[in-house]
Amino acid sequence: MHSSRVTRTALFKLAAAFLLMVVAATPAGAADDVMQRGEYLFRAAGCAVCHTDAEHKGAPLAGGRALKTRFGTFYTPNITPDDETGIGSWTETDFDRALRKGRDDEDEYLYPAFPYPSYTHLTDTDVRAIWAYLSSRKPVHQENKPHDLKWYVSYRPLIKFWQMLYFKPGPFQPQPDKPAGWNRGAYLVTAVGHCGECHTPRNFLGGLEESKRFSGNPDGVDGADVPNITPDKKTGIGTWSEGDITEYLDTGMTPDGDFAGDIMADVIDDSTSHLTRDDRKAIAVYLMSLPPIETVRHEHKHNKKKHRKEDYE
Amino acid sequence: MKQVTMRRLFAVGFVLVMLAPIMLRAAEPQDIIKYRQNVMKANGAHLAAAAAIIQGKVDFKNQLDAHVRALQTFTSDIPALFPKGSDFGDTRAKDAVWDKRAEFDKRAKNLKEKVAAFARAVKGGKREAMLAAFKDVGEDCKACHKDFRKKEEE
Repeated sequence: MHSSRVTRTALFKLAAAFLLMVVAATPAGAADDVMQRGEYLFRAAGCAVCHTDAEHKGAPLAGGRALKTRFGTFYTPNITPDDETGIGSWTETDFDRALRKGRDDEDEYLYPAFPYPSYTHLTDTDVRAIWAYLSSRKPVHQENKPHDLKWYVSYRPLIKFWQMLYFKPGPFQPQPDKPAGWNRGAYLVTAVGHCGECHTPRNFLGGLEESKRFSGNPDGVDGADVPNITPDKKTGIGTWSEGDITEYLDTGMTPDGDFAGDIMADVIDDSTSHLTRDDRKAIAVYLMSLPPIETVRHEHKHNKKKHRKEDYE
Repeated sequence: MKQVTMRRLFAVGFVLVMLAPIMLRAAEPQDIIKYRQNVMKANGAHLAAAAAIIQGKVDFKNQLDAHVRALQTFTSDIPALFPKGSDFGDTRAKDAVWDKRAEFDKRAKNLKEKVAAFARAVKGGKREAMLAAFKDVGEDCKACHKDFRKKEEE
């Protein structure tokens, strides 16, 4: 009798202690989970690639990186939680609006150089997690550099019409007949990783040419010839295996042993190499399932330019 | 008759002598550019081949050493592949290769050390260590291409 009471008391104490532990641990644990998820997605979304002026050793996420396009030069804004120069005064709703509707905290239209046409497909949970992580970053006081754009695109309210034409807001639609890995890849490629923003050609108004999705952009950012990532054997990555793509997104090595060196090297360093192997594989699975598109290769311009300059020396 | 031939010979000779510096100069950089592109491609190919063996994709363990030795040989003096004057023609080398030479030389030396570490790891034969060392070498390739190689069509 006596011993059973002792046992019961001990049991009760143990249960109480356990309950306390659970109560104490849950909120903190959940917050940690959100933060971890946020960091992971922040990486996957490649925010730091554009919002850090790495070339000039700029502070992380304080913006200022130049994105040269045929519409002029965009300077990425400061997205650290600094109240005055960053997004410290923004609410989660403001952030959500920017990411998924393409309008900032003052309801102004954002240039689609910011890839909200992709981010619009992010889930509620993921937007919240990214916001939590971004808010926890170190605030940096650095004024935004104004964009240097062609006159015909410098009037922001006109973006409204661009959005009417080319922006299709709405959540990611998983395809139930496809395996989970494929859907995960589709979400990573089309929503989070926004691969198509660089790897799809744009029309004269800067709208993505949907029929040529992922077939590369000869007039890419900073004058780059962005490669075709559809599985076309001749002009795309049709000769790559799933493993080759997974490897490339991890180390930057192509199947023939070349190593990425341009903006994609930044994307690999800051983004895709931090993903889990399963996620990199999911991206590969999705890319390999795309319809192959053959593109016309053009001559390399850099040769001619070099010759012209040197011929007169 | 004989005099005409002699004169013609002299004329041709004279023109050749005058043109020689131009012709030599014009031919030389293109050759070294082609050569270094081939060496770079070979390095990439050996590294990719070594990686495939280490990762267990293929079973050519007896050739792993040869790949690594080739890599060591051909990364031993990368700056020599970029002499002055080889900056024009069909090359994607950025001007920084010559303008920021000290930095370029330092990177080349770093790579050499990473490749040496890779060779040691391969000798050690531990899979994890080999994979890590391979990744380290790749990091250097990528970082150097980022700063010293133009993107396509720049």
